[in-house]
Amino acid sequence: MTTATAESQASEPDDLDDVEESQLEFYAREIKDLVGVFSRTLYYCVRGKREKGDIAAQMYAIGNGSMFFMCVTMAFIGAIVAYQMGLQTKKIIPDMSLLGATFLKLQVRDLIASVGAMPLATRVGAGIAAEIGSMVVTEQTDALRMSAADPVDFLVVPRFIASVIMGTVVLCVGGGVGIFSGMLVAMVSFDVNPNTFLNFSMLTSGDVILGLLKMVTYGGTIAIVSSQRGLRTFGGSEGVGIATTEAVVGSLFGIIVWQFILSAIGYVLLPA
Amino acid sequence: MIKVHDIHLSFKKPVLRGVSLEVPHECIYAVIGPGAAGKSVLLKTIAGLLTPDTGQVWIDGEEVTFHDELKLAELRKKIGYLFQNYALFDKSVGDNIAFPLRRLFGNIGEDEIKERVAERLMRMSLPGFEDRNPNSLSGGQKKRIGVARATIMRAPYILYDEPTAGLDPVTSQRICNLIRDEAREQRSTVIVVSSDIQRLLSIADRVGMMLHGQLIFDGTVDEAFASANPYVHQFIRGETEGPL
Amino acid sequence: MSNGTSGALAIPERVGATLLGIAGQAGGIAIMAGQILRRSAPWKVDRYEFIRNMYRMGVKSLPILAATAFFTGAIMVIQAAPLVIRYNARSFVGWSAIYTTFREIGPLLMALMFNGRVGANNTAELGTMAVTEQLDALRALAIDPIAYLVVPRAISIVIILTLLCVIGDFLAIVGAMGMASFMLDVNWMLFLNSSLPRLEVWDFAVGVIKAFLFGIMIALNSCYYGLSTSGGAPGVGRAVNASVVAAASGVFIADYLSTFIMD
Repeated sequence: MTTATAESQASEPDDLDDVEESQLEFYAREIKDLVGVFSRTLYYCVRGKREKGDIAAQMYAIGNGSMFFMCVTMAFIGAIVAYQMGLQTKKIIPDMSLLGATFLKLQVRDLIASVGAMPLATRVGAGIAAEIGSMVVTEQTDALRMSAADPVDFLVVPRFIASVIMGTVVLCVGGGVGIFSGMLVAMVSFDVNPNTFLNFSMLTSGDVILGLLKMVTYGGTIAIVSSQRGLRTFGGSEGVGIATTEAVVGSLFGIIVWQFILSAIGYVLLPA
Repeated sequence: MIKVHDIHLSFKKPVLRGVSLEVPHECIYAVIGPGAAGKSVLLKTIAGLLTPDTGQVWIDGEEVTFHDELKLAELRKKIGYLFQNYALFDKSVGDNIAFPLRRLFGNIGEDEIKERVAERLMRMSLPGFEDRNPNSLSGGQKKRIGVARATIMRAPYILYDEPTAGLDPVTSQRICNLIRDEAREQRSTVIVVSSDIQRLLSIADRVGMMLHGQLIFDGTVDEAFASANPYVHQFIRGETEGPL
Repeated sequence: MSNGTSGALAIPERVGATLLGIAGQAGGIAIMAGQILRRSAPWKVDRYEFIRNMYRMGVKSLPILAATAFFTGAIMVIQAAPLVIRYNARSFVGWSAIYTTFREIGPLLMALMFNGRVGANNTAELGTMAVTEQLDALRALAIDPIAYLVVPRAISIVIILTLLCVIGDFLAIVGAMGMASFMLDVNWMLFLNSSLPRLEVWDFAVGVIKAFLFGIMIALNSCYYGLSTSGGAPGVGRAVNASVVAAASGVFIADYLSTFIMD
């Protein structure tokens, strides 16, 4: 017991040093690096020469790996949102006839993409960072570079494309499940008839476009942030763990920032 | 010829502090030294995987220090590299070995690639391993696959990072002999980084010793054994008494 | 795909294997919960480790969680703006934002963010110790890894997340207030005056109880997956991945159940 405690005490100053490292400089460098990875990814999307089947393999991995998890999660989210909205409606106007219409508008315009992207980022972001991080630690990225295969072209681009496409697909399917579970909750808890609930009259094409735009943006953000963290992995197994952590937090935070920007843009350009 | 002039490189702390080195043609150059002396970093700097803060690297009389990735592609046709952790991709052994050929030389047909991969595997005493997955192989087998990948281009320069780390003595000696025979047959210039001194010195022509990011000795193997430098003297003999 | 089964049985078999896996992990987590309880009842925890972990987790996650909460509050008002304008419901903005923050968004978002930041980090640390044989070293010194490593971390996670939820609630409301006065001309007086009479202490308490439950989910999952890590550096990556996903599922399930139980 005493030896271990002494060791922890000895490592304490290091922890403090890390915290006090010039934060502003650190974030500036991070953002520059992210922009760099993103622009190189776009460049290679057009001009790259990666191997055939890589994108398909990544699409399978991302879609297959997160579909079940996302459907379960989105079902819970849909149920919770419908229930909370019902409670609030009950307090303001005890009229449930527009519950479904409002619920659908809110889900499609925002919640499916924005709330669903959180568990998606957790699932997909952690996976991407762990995978790329392990390749960095075992020098596979160096081996790629020795054969003039830029890791961004070879590793990031397939994951970026797959995450944008499959992220959107998974969120759409999960969103459908969420709407269904919301409908069930409305029926059981607030006696709203499914026919009354599935009222698409308030839904505009602007809502659908905004929702899809959000899904695509979040999918891309998850892939870019997590890949960048993975590529920056340093050190052994500890480094992979740190990269994975940072990938999840970074993706989540990136999604929130985008959510803020896109909601503001949507409010101005695509009003309800 | 590989020439390195006054390389400085630091991550958070300085790792290389003014390394200068010249490896003549068709020479097997051994870089020895204790852990964290900067040996692997030096090797990666020569290969252009790391960019030094200051200093230059010349290969075949051409300075390659600050080349961008696209120009480095030309350079990389000349360099084979064996990585410390094998760095084998999650694809079949055959695809792993053929990877540099396929990426760097667009004009080689699939038939020739297959032939050359089979020849490499035969040379490594692993015939018929093309379709195996590297994850199912032992450490020694993975190292030999790595050697096969490093040598398949018949590049004039081959860099080996810790080719024998973590292997048993018999396998280690076999890999060392393989490195020597390959170098002689292909008339290639080789740099080997290792802590496995006795075995390494048995195949090397010249030896350099690194300590704390500096090259503290550079000479032939005989000169190394005769060296009066107390660090070299102690390190080569593996003595516990001394300045190290 | 990889395990050779083909034909009609492939899908049922995979579903069965997944369910068995989940059942096995849930069992492992339950056993660990028991072990943690047994060691914390008569206080057998290294006090220094406990305080150090609380400090680290709090300092590490406060900035990012604060930023998240603030943004989220603002986003909620932007989302609600079209409906508010349509129904001319300016006097409901404050109540709606605060009510949703207290009951749902505050604890849920804080938990998801905390899971990524602290939960993942905790798994990575324990996992690294496992693959580098440090856990065996502790056992060899007759130090119980559960009492020495797991219990302080688990309890710290629960306490810190509950505290952060309170701070996050507050910051999200500040963000919402700022956005409401910027976008909807609802100044902070109106924002608060229109909402406070409608709010109950229970609304706030529900959120704190939820955060407490989410903390337990994150603590159990991250420690369990950390301790059962194997297979070197890639193994640590896999463990972190599995841990954050399992903890997120646990958080959503706990949220669902507690929403219906506490209305």
